[in-house]
Amino acid sequence: MDSWIHPALFFFVGALLLPLLRGKAKKGFILLIPVAAIVSVAFARYGVYGAYHFLGVEGVFGRVDKLSMVFAWVFVIMAFLGALYALHREEDGHHMAGFFYVGSALGALFAGDYLTLFIFWEIMAFSSVFLIWYRKEKKSIEAGFRYLMFHVFGGLLFFAGMMLYYHKTGSFAFNSILPANASWPEYLILAGFALNAAVLPLHAWLPDAYPEASVEGAVFLCAFTTKTAVYVLARGFTGFEILAIMGTAMTVFGVCYAVIENDIRRVLAYHIISQVGYMVAGVGIGTAMAVNGAAAHAFAHILYKALLFMGAGSVLYMTGTAKLSRLGGLYKYMPLTMIFYIVGAVSISGFPLFSGFVSKSMIVSAAHHEGRIWLMSWLNLAGIGTFLSVGLKVTYFTFFGKEPAEPLQAKEPPLNMLWAMGLTALLCLIIGVFPQTLYVLLPFPVEYHPYNLAHLSESMQILAFTGLVFYLMVKKLSPEVKLNLDVDYFYRKGTLLFMKFDEKVIAPFDTLWGELYRTLGLRALFKNAELSYFFDQRAIDGVVDGTAYSVMSFGSVVKKMQTGKIQTYIGLSLFLFFAILWLVL
Amino acid sequence: MNVLKIIEYLIAKAAPLKTAFFVFLGALVLFDLFLPRDNAHYIVDKVYAFWTLFALAGCFLLIKISKGIAHLFLSKDEDYYG
Repeated sequence: MDSWIHPALFFFVGALLLPLLRGKAKKGFILLIPVAAIVSVAFARYGVYGAYHFLGVEGVFGRVDKLSMVFAWVFVIMAFLGALYALHREEDGHHMAGFFYVGSALGALFAGDYLTLFIFWEIMAFSSVFLIWYRKEKKSIEAGFRYLMFHVFGGLLFFAGMMLYYHKTGSFAFNSILPANASWPEYLILAGFALNAAVLPLHAWLPDAYPEASVEGAVFLCAFTTKTAVYVLARGFTGFEILAIMGTAMTVFGVCYAVIENDIRRVLAYHIISQVGYMVAGVGIGTAMAVNGAAAHAFAHILYKALLFMGAGSVLYMTGTAKLSRLGGLYKYMPLTMIFYIVGAVSISGFPLFSGFVSKSMIVSAAHHEGRIWLMSWLNLAGIGTFLSVGLKVTYFTFFGKEPAEPLQAKEPPLNMLWAMGLTALLCLIIGVFPQTLYVLLPFPVEYHPYNLAHLSESMQILAFTGLVFYLMVKKLSPEVKLNLDVDYFYRKGTLLFMKFDEKVIAPFDTLWGELYRTLGLRALFKNAELSYFFDQRAIDGVVDGTAYSVMSFGSVVKKMQTGKIQTYIGLSLFLFFAILWLVL
Repeated sequence: MNVLKIIEYLIAKAAPLKTAFFVFLGALVLFDLFLPRDNAHYIVDKVYAFWTLFALAGCFLLIKISKGIAHLFLSKDEDYYG
């Protein structure tokens, strides 16, 4: 097959056609677009499509290979599940933002050069922010603006690096970079990518913005931005030691915050940092098995994290809050939601038979294989924290625990949401039970069997004894109605400081300058105008008027000769004729 | 609803489930003692029930340290940023 329809095209065109449809046709259309994209990915063959020349730059829209395909598969599947979950939303804008977001993420996946990648990278930031704003609360609007500014900053880092890279190599081609060859340009690009992957300390935009997103928007958000970043890191920056260390730090950092957070969606947001940390560490370790693990974990993570956000979103949608301190005893009202949430929770925790078990362990085992026992231990410590907060703390305080004073009049969420959760839960189970379905998609051919005795023993000890400590210390973990500072403190307080500086220093200076201008500047201007006027009247007008007067007086002489009588004209003509003749002769 | 009945049945059986959980914990440690260790190169593979000890200590410290730091300076009122 020589031609191929880029799956992003379905989303972009679909988003534009969406407002033209009404009622059931629109709902069908919203589900049809991702299905069309799934078909397009299914029929994709490895190769390079859509190469173009623009301003002397060689660009590629469609680089289809194993690495881009494993991400593309999960992106289009997730797009379908997300669209199903959001199906009840009436606003066209929400669906359109979702489609543009997914489309641009797919565009970034298949981009073969930095320029194409950059364009889709920016569309991604600008379309996803609407999914935050569609929550339509003051907090979301503010968080959305912070999110946007932070991503614009990241885009600028990437752009600066890209331009310097072009200056250095004369090409925008986006290929694997060797750590030994990397200098300023490459590290700037890496910083831009790392910001989207929420690598410390460029991570604060994520737990700031995602918990403020719309219920349905958060399901999209948690899937695409960070995983596109993992993809570009895996494409360009395998084997960078700094990624191995920072990734491992992310895994532990995320779970520490998850232990102290109160809002379910904030707990989950910190767990995105933690889980993406595993992938970043996998890319940093850089062996075939580790990169495979990063790709596999991205695949599994998108599904179970979306499932968790769907569950938390359902609780928020039906009860009006996602704060653990105001929830409890929901198993009576939302048992199905609870079961689906628990499937997500055991998947992320890496229980045998669920997806996290077969993907996370590849990265941990890769660290083990390389003899990086410290990395491996920290990654397993993060595993403890994952089960502790997502698996136990959130489940216990939301669905069990004490019911709040005023009972929550909750019901199961709408059918489309339940179906989306059910299908996602099923996929988590299928990947866990039949890991080969996922492994065949991975970029490198590696023999790995997750279900071996040593790994089972290691995982079960970690999970079960974490359960024991939770049982003994559950009181210590009761949610606290607090806000926990993160590095966004520096720019949020920093902007407040700047505003104060503006108010106290810049604004008074501006007033002073204005006053100075009014008194001195304006007076000088008036004087100058007066002088100009004088010069204009006396000098310029004198010349112009003088000319005009001469023409007028000449005209009045000529006027006298124009009597209108033919004999006078003939007489005058003859007189002139003879006068000229006399002069010439 | 059936699902709810199953959950309530399990909650009613909390005491025997708890016993079963503790038996399971013991069984896990025993299982690790009999695990073949031919390929054990590193300390994490050589020490018996290493991950049990790791989980107990790790989980305890994770809670203590996170909560400790939070109470020390991270926790603020919810309207801290206004």
